[in-house]
Amino acid sequence: MAYVAVSGGEEAIEASIALLNYYRSGTDKDLDLEVIEEKMSLLVDRVMSEAGLYSKRYAALALKQCEGSSDEAVFLLRAYRSTLKRSYDTRVVNTQDMRIARRISAAFKDIPGGQVLGATYDYTHRLMNFSLETEDAPALQKKMRDLVQSQTPVEAPDSPRVSDTLKDEGLIDRFPANDEKPFDVTQNLLEFPAPRSARLQTLSRADTGFISGLAYSVLRGFGQVHPTVGELRVGAVELEVPYLENPEESLYIGDVLLTEVEVFNEADDKNQLKLSCGYGAVFGRNENKAIAMAVLDHELSTTGDFPTQNDEFVLMHGDSLEMNGFISHLKLPHYVTFQSKLDAVRKTRRKTT
Amino acid sequence: MEKRRISRILARADGAAVKRLADEIKAVQSPVIVKAPEKSLAMIRMREPVQESLFYLGEVIVCEAIVDLAGKKGVAVLMGDDFDKVLDMAVIDAACNAGVFARYDELERLEREQKIQLEKERAMFLKTMVSFHSMDSEVAP
Repeated sequence: MAYVAVSGGEEAIEASIALLNYYRSGTDKDLDLEVIEEKMSLLVDRVMSEAGLYSKRYAALALKQCEGSSDEAVFLLRAYRSTLKRSYDTRVVNTQDMRIARRISAAFKDIPGGQVLGATYDYTHRLMNFSLETEDAPALQKKMRDLVQSQTPVEAPDSPRVSDTLKDEGLIDRFPANDEKPFDVTQNLLEFPAPRSARLQTLSRADTGFISGLAYSVLRGFGQVHPTVGELRVGAVELEVPYLENPEESLYIGDVLLTEVEVFNEADDKNQLKLSCGYGAVFGRNENKAIAMAVLDHELSTTGDFPTQNDEFVLMHGDSLEMNGFISHLKLPHYVTFQSKLDAVRKTRRKTT
Repeated sequence: MEKRRISRILARADGAAVKRLADEIKAVQSPVIVKAPEKSLAMIRMREPVQESLFYLGEVIVCEAIVDLAGKKGVAVLMGDDFDKVLDMAVIDAACNAGVFARYDELERLEREQKIQLEKERAMFLKTMVSFHSMDSEVAP
């Protein structure tokens, strides 16, 4: 059998692409983007986070286009994003001002502003709900809208960060505000050691499964810490950009939903009088990813031989587009390189026989 | 009224409500489109609380429009791709800058409605606040 480099196959490729629709044609019902946006919102959140692009509608469209594959959807969003210019950096978002929908602490039961469970699957029985097979969607929508309208409006309680209290007590270091321009991993190649801003941006848009697995390895013993979730917040933050006609003024452009986590860790050997912290913030409702990010942020601040203490290892292997692209390329023809490998094996076999 | 406040009210308002305000202006003025609505990106700058440093969280899709009304520019930027709404917002901004916008009362009414809606939503979330019954003090002596 001979192995040669080949060209051609264009018609087969076109037919293959057209055939993708076959797998979306098993029903005559359409999948409305609004339905994906509103009823698959955790999947939409994950895709937006891994794409580094907050757009529920476009994430829903991407998911529809690729049969719900999160990595293909990330690819589509990243590709689309690359066609747009960037017009603005927003004003600095401070999550102190978050409109809180959920806020818990595993460190203290009594925190100023209170622990608000919000909506969580944490306490649900994981039993299949077969009544959803024939759900009355309009009735559900009306019920929840009526629930909101029946509430008595309340002002936001003062909810200072848990870490602020510990900073006031001197148990956590307080740093002055640092306004240094962040490193942007979408426009610059990462260099190591990576600046903190590059680390946080990379972790925030990393593949959820990748950083969850790495954080799990830290907790299982391939790392230094078993952190405590000092505070986990889910809520909306307001985005503003400078007003073109007068940069002293700002324009509100909309809200984004975020999950934010601070983890507290035992003191290291050098400074046993303090706690150290890790930070995570991600688009949407994605608590495990935010916690994993905070664990890894702290772990990367320490030195040692565990993989999670190596910033090149952690930051270079978790990007959904890059990792899936590289793995996917293995499916493409490697006829010439494989023939070379085969020749080498055959030559060795001839020598040994 | 500050630009931040006006833009927040309009961005949160229904597109039809914004259109009504813009149509009132267009009935007596002739705004000219300087920059037709188009999409671009805005990068979110965040401050992290551990070292108080800045980082980029990710981007959002925004649309932007600029109009001219009686020699005054009006600018609007809005998350998403609602071109009609962003253009209407730019017309209202231009009217404000030209001193011919007369419906601040309507903006205040919309703002009151929006505030109540957000506070009702907050009330719903706060219903899930945990009430701990402590059996022992966690405060160190």
